[in-house]
Amino acid sequence: MAHIHCTDIVKSYGAHPVISGLNLDIPNHEFVVFLGPSGCGKSTMLRMIAGLEEVTGGRIEIGGTDVTDLPPGERGVAMVFQSYALYPHMSVADNITFGLRRQGVSKADIAPRLKQVAEVLGLEQFLDRRPKNLSGGQQQRVAMARAMIKTPKVFLFDEPLSNLDAKLREKLRTEIRRMHLKLKTTTIFVTHDQLEAMTIADRIVLMRDGMIEQMGTPDEIFERPASRFVADFIGTPAMNFVTAKLEAGLIACAGSIRMQLSEAEFPSLNPGQEVELGLRPARMDLCAPGSANALTGEVVLVENMGAEGQVITEVDGAEISFVTQRFRDLSIGDTVHFAIRPDHIHVFDPKTGRSLRKD
Amino acid sequence: MGKLISTTLTRALLGLLIIVALGPILWTVLGAFKELRDIVTPVPKLIFEPTLDNFATILRNPTIRDGLLHSVIVVSASVLIGAVLGIPAAHSLARHARRWGDDVQFFVLSLRFMPPVAIAIPFIVIYLDLGIYDTLFGLILVYLITTISTVIWLAVPAFERVPHDIEEAAAMEGCGPAEVFWRFSLPLAAPSLFGALVFTFVLVWNELLLALTLAAQNATLPVVAASITSLGKEVPWGVINAATVLLVLPPLVFIGLLMGLLNSMVRSGPK
Repeated sequence: MAHIHCTDIVKSYGAHPVISGLNLDIPNHEFVVFLGPSGCGKSTMLRMIAGLEEVTGGRIEIGGTDVTDLPPGERGVAMVFQSYALYPHMSVADNITFGLRRQGVSKADIAPRLKQVAEVLGLEQFLDRRPKNLSGGQQQRVAMARAMIKTPKVFLFDEPLSNLDAKLREKLRTEIRRMHLKLKTTTIFVTHDQLEAMTIADRIVLMRDGMIEQMGTPDEIFERPASRFVADFIGTPAMNFVTAKLEAGLIACAGSIRMQLSEAEFPSLNPGQEVELGLRPARMDLCAPGSANALTGEVVLVENMGAEGQVITEVDGAEISFVTQRFRDLSIGDTVHFAIRPDHIHVFDPKTGRSLRKD
Repeated sequence: MGKLISTTLTRALLGLLIIVALGPILWTVLGAFKELRDIVTPVPKLIFEPTLDNFATILRNPTIRDGLLHSVIVVSASVLIGAVLGIPAAHSLARHARRWGDDVQFFVLSLRFMPPVAIAIPFIVIYLDLGIYDTLFGLILVYLITTISTVIWLAVPAFERVPHDIEEAAAMEGCGPAEVFWRFSLPLAAPSLFGALVFTFVLVWNELLLALTLAAQNATLPVVAASITSLGKEVPWGVINAATVLLVLPPLVFIGLLMGLLNSMVRSGPK
């Protein structure tokens, strides 16, 4: 039992507020990712849950116990740091078992547990080495082993993969996800990498300026972004945005563009209203001229991504890109027609940036 | 060709520097093992019959023996107390008061700007009033100004180089602040701290002026060694050389250790 309950969390450094009144509930067994640009408060939030940073106001509960004023060691949490933070003056085995030895767990009890985590993480042959004689990926595994052996109530990961190269990052990401499926320990994982967040999370908490911008499953965040900020932050290539005016029959017009919006999704829209359309490149594809919701543009650049390609076009002087598998037939200067399904069009309020989709 | 010339020139220059640096030390060491007539010959002698008489003389001389003993007591006490007080202070400054750290460090360093004479004269008056003039305790007390400030000044950067994450990781495992300090910060900063202590040791071991003004009877070795030179016409060169060797031996040994440590640190390098 280790759900996490954060109520009205406030954090400020002097007069400068970093987090102002944040509420968050993380159910038991869930893998939650704190995602956001740097400076959004995600690491601060994690460090407050860990106990490394004091809260200015509010209350943190872990597994039903108020831990707000408890020191880090008494909260039943284990943390993996971005820099790994291994103890350089100890062997790998001593690094992993330090916490247990400190608690006075007997050698006979520690040995099988060490063997087990070392086996799971493939560290058996490194146990006698010093951390500095290991590669980055191996050091990261030692850091994970050190967290795992304590069988904590909650795992905290602070950007643990950002110091690794792309390939290793992907591999360890999968390993962490697999480990969670097996152990089912409640986990909070901080990252600024949206792809990492999408692939690893049960739920994403997307933060901005110390506030939660949106909280939801990766699908919800991707398909139903609550704001322009979320829509822009998630997805590669990034979403296209077009300012348009509504005409009767929920048709959004901007220059030569005419888009039929879904009445079921956007019942609150009125003719004459200004809106911002969000069009995901990956949700558009080539179409026959004159199709519904078609855009016509001139190819500016084609980016080969292997299985598919991103085509950047100029439509009425603005750049709009889309993704297609048939990009190899296109060359710069071609006129192309591409379209999007009405249920994939996002509509935002141009002033507040909030989504105008019905809840 | 040009490269060959430049390497040769560099080597020649280095060789010259080594001779300039080590020549006097070598001459002193040789002199310590010579009899007076081998020292005062018009033609310097490199080959001679070595003698331990000079060392026997100084070790039999109560003034020099006491000087050595006083030096050892005063220097080790002031360095030890300086370390005990200065190292935790440096850790606190490095970790918890970084914004004041620079000011405090500058203040501590500024204590060393003042010429020792400026301290010595008021201290004579104060010490006479307190009744601790010409005592080892008084000397230790005044040396603590030097040792504490130097230890703090050198140990703050040593602790700053200890990654904060490691201390936090230890805190996550339940270690309190004192335990984090003893089991993590201190061992990780130890190589640099050792250097700081050696440097501090050398500084007070060689100190002459304060020792000369504040401790007339309880003289330390530099004071005694200095006084031998003013013994009159018959200058006992061999004894002076032997006393000098005795005086420079501890700093030289420590500096040697320090160099070895620095070399090993540079060689292992950052990961």
